[in-house]
Amino acid sequence: MSFAGTADDVALAPIEAVHARRQWLETLRSAARLRRTRLGLLMVGGLVVLAVVGPLLAPHSPSAFVGPGLTSPSKVALLGTDSLGRDVLSRFLHGGRTVISLALLATILGVGVGAAVGMFAAYARGLVDGILMRTSDVLLAFPQIVLVLLLVTGAGTHLWLIVVTVALGHAPRTARVIRAAAMEIVERDFIKAAEVMGESRWRIVFGGIMPMVTSPLLVEFGLRMVYSIALVTAVSFLGFGLQPPTADWGLMINENRLGIIQQPWSVVMPVLAIGLLTVGTNLITDGVARAAIGLDRRRSA
Amino acid sequence: MLRLITLRIALGVLTLWLVSVLVFVGTQVLPGDTATAILGPSATPDRLAALRKLLHLDDSVVAQYWHWLSSLVQGDLGTSASAGVPLSEILSSRVQNSGVLMLASGLIAVPVGLGLGVWAAIRRDRLADHLTSGSSLVLAALPEFVIGMALVLLFATTVFQWLPAVSLLGPGQAIWSKPQAAVLPVAALALAVIPYITRIMRGSMIEVLQSDYVQTARLKGLPERTVILRHSVPNALVPAIQVTALQLAWLAGGVVVIEYLFSFPGVGGLLVDSVTGREITIVQDVSLLIAAVYVTLNVLADVLCILITPKVRTGIS
Amino acid sequence: MTDRSMSAAGYGMTRRTALRATLATGATFAAGGLLTACSDEPQEAAPKGTPASGTKPKQGGTLRAGISGGGASDTLDAHHSSGAAEESRLPQLYEPLALYDHDATLMMVLAESMEPARDARSWDIRLREGVEFHNGKTLGADDLIYTFQRILNPDDPKDGVGFFGYVDATRLQKLDARTVRVHLKVKSATLTDDVAQYFNGIVPVGYDPRKPVGTGPFKFKSFTPGEESTFVKNENYWRTGQPYLDELSIINMNDDAARVNALLSGEIDAIMGLPARQVPTVENNPELRVQIAEKTGVHQPLTMRMDKAPFDDVRVRQAFRLMVDREQMVQQAYGGQASVGNDMPGLPDPMYASSLPQREQDIEQAKSLLKAAGHEGLTIEMVTAPMYRGVLESGQVFVEQAKAAGVNIKTKQLDTTGFFDGYGGWTFSQTFYGGRSVLGQIGFQYMPDSIWNETGWKNDRFTKLIAETRATLDDAKRKEILFEAQKILHEEGTLVIHSFVHAVDGYKAQWTGFNPSWTGGPLGDFRFREVGLSA
Repeated sequence: MSFAGTADDVALAPIEAVHARRQWLETLRSAARLRRTRLGLLMVGGLVVLAVVGPLLAPHSPSAFVGPGLTSPSKVALLGTDSLGRDVLSRFLHGGRTVISLALLATILGVGVGAAVGMFAAYARGLVDGILMRTSDVLLAFPQIVLVLLLVTGAGTHLWLIVVTVALGHAPRTARVIRAAAMEIVERDFIKAAEVMGESRWRIVFGGIMPMVTSPLLVEFGLRMVYSIALVTAVSFLGFGLQPPTADWGLMINENRLGIIQQPWSVVMPVLAIGLLTVGTNLITDGVARAAIGLDRRRSA
Repeated sequence: MLRLITLRIALGVLTLWLVSVLVFVGTQVLPGDTATAILGPSATPDRLAALRKLLHLDDSVVAQYWHWLSSLVQGDLGTSASAGVPLSEILSSRVQNSGVLMLASGLIAVPVGLGLGVWAAIRRDRLADHLTSGSSLVLAALPEFVIGMALVLLFATTVFQWLPAVSLLGPGQAIWSKPQAAVLPVAALALAVIPYITRIMRGSMIEVLQSDYVQTARLKGLPERTVILRHSVPNALVPAIQVTALQLAWLAGGVVVIEYLFSFPGVGGLLVDSVTGREITIVQDVSLLIAAVYVTLNVLADVLCILITPKVRTGIS
Repeated sequence: MTDRSMSAAGYGMTRRTALRATLATGATFAAGGLLTACSDEPQEAAPKGTPASGTKPKQGGTLRAGISGGGASDTLDAHHSSGAAEESRLPQLYEPLALYDHDATLMMVLAESMEPARDARSWDIRLREGVEFHNGKTLGADDLIYTFQRILNPDDPKDGVGFFGYVDATRLQKLDARTVRVHLKVKSATLTDDVAQYFNGIVPVGYDPRKPVGTGPFKFKSFTPGEESTFVKNENYWRTGQPYLDELSIINMNDDAARVNALLSGEIDAIMGLPARQVPTVENNPELRVQIAEKTGVHQPLTMRMDKAPFDDVRVRQAFRLMVDREQMVQQAYGGQASVGNDMPGLPDPMYASSLPQREQDIEQAKSLLKAAGHEGLTIEMVTAPMYRGVLESGQVFVEQAKAAGVNIKTKQLDTTGFFDGYGGWTFSQTFYGGRSVLGQIGFQYMPDSIWNETGWKNDRFTKLIAETRATLDDAKRKEILFEAQKILHEEGTLVIHSFVHAVDGYKAQWTGFNPSWTGGPLGDFRFREVGLSA
């Protein structure tokens, strides 16, 4: 998918292309200068580290019984035990991996497919555009959680299905945004020039259009990641996601909400973690969005 | 303009029809005989045959779909797979409850969201603005069940015990006869929606406040109150209306998790229960209902947008 | 083979539907009773906990009771039950000829007497005098005939068929205004036990379930499936003085949290299925009472298919039973609200083989049995579903305990529909049963032709012993033979019965009359006519 390096590329629009290739890097760099982005990175980074190394730090096995159910914090169990008498801290430390990896997979899949569809629709125009957009209308007619539940009813509870359905909800939303951004790009001369040169559609879309829409794509990725985390954990919270005895933040809330009066920690910890993760991701996204707007203004000025 | 609106509504209807196909096919993916599953190993051939007939399981998929859709259009929601109880009996009070829940959340979220947006815009870059923007950024990111669970921890169980953690309503008992049961679910939904409305209103308001038109009004010596209330807010509302309508549409899905969390007797909770028990007809009906509300509010948002903004009239996608 | 347990028949025919609504959150109801009529001697009162106050209730008041197990399939049909929801409602409206009392004795209800002919080929049933239906009609012989014909209708048989299907519905003979002679297709000396089910209520001629009319202590007021049903006092009830309540409201709340919170916040007056972890919270509240039925037959076994590897080798089955730490199971999975099981059903039944040694965890022995069977370090899939509260929890505990013996169990969790769709096909899975007598459960599950024989249990000597038990009239001798049969289950059986789950209810202290029942039936066996405000 590399765009530079061949003679044809030079024929495309060298200035715009070089400029475009840098766009995302520049956006990220300037976003990193914002305080909110740094704060977000700190939060997300901390939780990712926690999710990755947490299992190594856990004092107990997440499935071992360390005492009676729903006991208060003690020396054995620093945050007490859950409804089955397992260590809340250990389960919490184990519970982030599934959330982050599933949400990330769903986001990559959804935004990837959505961006491709959006760019193709914008480029192809006409009938193809119409069909793609009507199809996305149907998917957009459901709140995302309902779409997930619908397909769970049809096909049963599977992790891949959760990833696919969450992605399926993202794709049309991303497609719309990227299509709108790409609409203006496809009208530019360098695309026309590439068409004249007989470039393949794939190269025009991924080599010509995509580098020009990386800013909205980055923002879209961050935003969809926020919703992915929310959806993946919500599905587990409703009991259709990860299954016991997996230690997972969403599932932990569901398993222990009945004992919330005696033992709030097994609910408080995952609620906090999910909250920090989504808020952190949103802060980063917001920073990127601001940076992108700022760069845009500077460029047009 | 009328043509445009008609077109948008027609598109909405077309979308809904496609949605009904998707709902039907989506829930029929799994193989297996529903009748056997319902009756279990003790099923006698007679009972199986009777149940299959009741559920039209012997018909072709297309015929089943047609039967479902045509009776739905005529207001017949079908019967519960396991008991033969008309679903309208089960659904009607729940539809009402969810409706009230959505309405109450909307009635609170819209004015609060718009008001906060205006306030933040007026106090731009001052503490009030930073606080509002910061908290909307946080709230917008939080999943609704996290907000709900936090409210439960704060106001129902761990910190204070002021409000019920679950919403218990008898059938036929109207939610307004027991407002405390709805406080937390309404608050959770409103909190999930407000930040989006506040954000768009703030942005829009800032733009309007910087416009020549408002500057002129100020120069004319009109009192600031008048400048804001009479001249700025109405103009700033235009772009906010679509986002607001979209947020209200979001509530149609938001009720699913929130109702489950608070055991609120509405359609969302029913959907979760029915997915668990694979009550396929209920899942189909409720999904379609939620999609219908969602699409309708979306269409409404677009229509409002068309009516208000002249430039959009040139084309819709 | 008639299952003569007095438990909710719902466990058989429509077990799945009863669960459907309870799923995610689960619900506990001790389904009815345990003993058959094998024993007439009243057992010592099993339930423990805060004893129900002995004071006689005063008249008046409205009771709001929270139950679970209801759903869209709830019905008010007198002769159909899909589980706890019907078990709680039907007895308020309808009454059968006879029922089991709290102390396990058989009591006549609408029958004044039931006498078998000497050859046991026919019975004379004499109805109680002066009993009125809710519509003012007096109970008579025609109503009994109508009821039996309705239940035994070959085109649309009702639940009772499984119990007294041997009654010849074409030969119901009216002797006088309130006496009917019932002819039987086969000899039976147990008609009284067989009709003693809450879903065999007598209904008036022309009964229409949409206008539910019976002779029960309460009259129908309103009903929404899966939500709430309300009843008002039957002023003309034949038991003088009862019921005490003016109005009764039975509210379905499948969500445990919802039910408990409703009790704690005072929204409702009594709940069944109080989760074990919530017992202290309720007990510490001076305004609330907890009632625990400790000796129930409710169990949630692991099932091992006998004709499939690795369980075709009895040593593997034995190893699996030795892997469980039953004490830990009771503590972790059930929060202490269960009694240790010994791999045989029917704990409260006097016929239960309680003298057999209690099986304890023995990891070394389990390992060596597995090794001998060539299944060292076995990896196996356990199919399960959120069918009942405690099932998933006990499954998780077992998975963890099995690790010690080097057995790696992968849990495959289905939804209940999918689970029961493939029921009987799972090599290794979980299930649950309400309380029944030893013999009742055996007829239900352990005979080669039992519909719930999900493990394919078959043992010729066992089957022969059961047939012998049924043919033996002498109680002591029966017990001896049944003991031998249970010994086979204990040695070679296909189920891991690790615990018997307690029935736990909670109610407001101002109420009285939730009389503990040996059956483990929730809320005083749902006998709301005995409940009222403390005087």
